[in-house]
Amino acid sequence: MKLPPYAVALRIAEQERTKFKIWFPLFLLWPLAIPFLILTFIATLVVDAFYLLSGQRAAYTRLLVGVLGVVGETRGVEVFIQDPVRTVALTLR
Amino acid sequence: MSEERNRILDLLAAGKITAEEAGRLLDAVDSGAAQAASAPAAPKTGSGELPKFMYVKVISTKGDNVNVKIPLSLVRAGLKLTSLIPPQAMEQIDKSMAEKGMSIDLKNLKPEDLEDLIESLREMEISVDAANGDNVRVYAA
Repeated sequence: MKLPPYAVALRIAEQERTKFKIWFPLFLLWPLAIPFLILTFIATLVVDAFYLLSGQRAAYTRLLVGVLGVVGETRGVEVFIQDPVRTVALTLR
Repeated sequence: MSEERNRILDLLAAGKITAEEAGRLLDAVDSGAAQAASAPAAPKTGSGELPKFMYVKVISTKGDNVNVKIPLSLVRAGLKLTSLIPPQAMEQIDKSMAEKGMSIDLKNLKPEDLEDLIESLREMEISVDAANGDNVRVYAA
């Protein structure tokens, strides 16, 4: 499983002139997300155990891991939108 | 061939050529492709490397351009995620989709079907030329 995107680059230009440009280091947010992820992981484990005990099949923990996998695969996404006046470019690294 | 199209679309996106010029160039590329298709098939000499990205390109005659590059691995991970959705939630999704007129039974979507679907995406190329000159292309490269 890939790590989540470590940076996002956003550029907004008007009439070919860059009006706003930012390179944001997303990896700085990773430590903030870890406690939330741990809590969510525990909650999904409890829910899965509850379903298992009641004889039903559930995979909320696997779903959480899958969602994290999808987030990791967003690395490399590039979006470029241009109209006659404005240009917006977004890149996930 | 898609490389040439990419280059043209990139030039248009960069504002180096106009939409009309891009249209003419794309037509020229298309006619070249048609000629190549009518010619006897040449043996494949490429490295056989699989495409890694899916591209969505929209070129409007009004000057609006959209260019989206999505890793195919993201498409794969997203499709695989559907097989992990709990059955209880899956029923809700199926019901909501049916209400919107999309009667797709996600429960019957097997992992091997997903693999086939992803493999097919690699060869997919959608090209829409609207009457007003707008052009939409979805392809993997």
